[in-house]
Amino acid sequence: MLTLRQECRIAIRIAGIRLRGQIAYPASFWMQIFSSFVIHAAEILALLAMFNRFNDMGEWTLGEVAFLHGISMTAFSIGDTIAVGLDSVPSQIREGEFDRVLIRPLSSWIQTLVSEVSLRHLGQCAQGVVILGFALSWTDIQWTLQKALFMPVIIATGVALFIALFTLVAILSFWTVNSIEVVNAFTYGGSDLAQFPLHIFDRWMRNLFLFVIPGGFTAYYPALYILGKDDPLGMTDTFRFLGPLVTAGFCLVVAWGWNQGIRHYRSTGS
Amino acid sequence: MDGPMIEARNLEKRFTVRRHREGAFGAMRSLVDRGGNEVSAVKDVSFSINRGEMVGYIGPNGAGKSTTIKMLTGILVPSSGEATVAGFTPRESRKQLAQQIGVVFGQRTQLWWDLALADSLELLRHMYRVPEKRFRENLNRARELLVLDDFMHTPVRQLSLGQRMRGDLAAALLHDPKILYLDEPTIGLDIVAKARIREFLAALNRETHVTVLLTTHDLADIEQLCRRIIVIDRGQVVYDGELGALRNRFGGKRHVILDFDQDPGDAISTLAGNNLEIVDHNGPRVRVAFDRETTSTPRVLALASHHGTVRDVSIEEPAIEDVIRQMYEGPDSQHP
Repeated sequence: MLTLRQECRIAIRIAGIRLRGQIAYPASFWMQIFSSFVIHAAEILALLAMFNRFNDMGEWTLGEVAFLHGISMTAFSIGDTIAVGLDSVPSQIREGEFDRVLIRPLSSWIQTLVSEVSLRHLGQCAQGVVILGFALSWTDIQWTLQKALFMPVIIATGVALFIALFTLVAILSFWTVNSIEVVNAFTYGGSDLAQFPLHIFDRWMRNLFLFVIPGGFTAYYPALYILGKDDPLGMTDTFRFLGPLVTAGFCLVVAWGWNQGIRHYRSTGS
Repeated sequence: MDGPMIEARNLEKRFTVRRHREGAFGAMRSLVDRGGNEVSAVKDVSFSINRGEMVGYIGPNGAGKSTTIKMLTGILVPSSGEATVAGFTPRESRKQLAQQIGVVFGQRTQLWWDLALADSLELLRHMYRVPEKRFRENLNRARELLVLDDFMHTPVRQLSLGQRMRGDLAAALLHDPKILYLDEPTIGLDIVAKARIREFLAALNRETHVTVLLTTHDLADIEQLCRRIIVIDRGQVVYDGELGALRNRFGGKRHVILDFDQDPGDAISTLAGNNLEIVDHNGPRVRVAFDRETTSTPRVLALASHHGTVRDVSIEEPAIEDVIRQMYEGPDSQHP
């Protein structure tokens, strides 16, 4: 039996072999990354335009909102890069291509991740890092060692949550082969939501984003901690550090769902 | 390992056929709607296959061949019944089992469309953790016997069907599987390519004693490769035994072609009636059909020699197609 570490190492090898082919055309490779960078520049322009009219957003300054944008966008784009293969699960199931995943001695989920490899979302990641850089220069964060160490944890938690959300969407296709656009609300919608301060939203939306899809725990609350802000929602300070725990729980539920999906897989005729 | 390599005990697979619903909300509704008709693709299948056997698994379209194989590989979870393959229960130990089996689906490749065959094989080497030395040996054997060298560096999507199938076979054998499942391995191939694949499989089975379960519509595959066949119809095993015994049981007449040195004339028709039948009479060549239970070839020759000198004799076994057709249509069958 392979350990998870061995499986991951094999997956990275596989991704490497698949990338080798893409880098054989460096121009197109860099073009993809560059265009993703440019497309997502529009988001920061929209944010600047908004702050040009209003001085603050729910009493958050431009720098503070940009900080939230930066960490969410970075986490989302890394998650999207890792999970890009999950996008093809519906078509793999529809065309019976998923069969071959199940006859190989590797976790079906890990195989799915590397069934497609693309680095184009790294353009968005670069954009996220740029925004984060601006945010850090526009805000006056009181850095401590703990805060500095918590930064990578925030990003990693966000990455894990987004991968879990992409997985959740893929799981649904084990039950219905029709594409369900609605479920993209969970992923792309989740990413958009995570870029704005949670307290500006309605109560139901806040609850959804904390207790159903725990995006609030991976972006908003950790940001409160780093930025040293009070919680206008009046939750306990523990919330600021709950992200990793809540995300781990969410991932467990999604992993269970994936296994149920595999059990339910019907293949196709022939 | 003791015991059979593949064992199926009362395997059943039911599918729920649901109504298709239109639109986004239709998709959402089909997620929660549990209604629909249940159909059994496989009703009750039991058999046992020993190490080194090469078994043909045949039946009409929709009989449940592929569904059975998918349950034996761990792709599908049986609705009821149990399978043991290479000592593993497929649904519980899918990954361990995967290490022991090789699978070739004729209809779809196990390779990566966008990668060269060589890259695909390298990927599989990592996936199955095949030691470098073993990988080289297996790759060299495959390259030699399946003649892969011409297209090792061609992307799989550009390969011809025959090339792709050879690549798929090489891929399925890289990790020295104990069991090879072949689902329509010669579908769509020309005669030369078919012959090449069959020769390879026969040699492989002889040398490595790999256990092979083969489904096919091309009964020549079966005739040339398998001594034993399992026939499935409507999700149930209707025959399990030797190919020869099937021929005997479900008749199918043996044909003897007699070449006389000259046309024996109309007198030859008197042959008929001795449990013989003249199928064709064209100059010196006469084709005779008889039931092998009641008549033998020497007796036919003895009878024929009264009508002239027989220069040459050839015997044709009943085509397996005819035998199986007869089996489905025969009096024992439940077919209408």
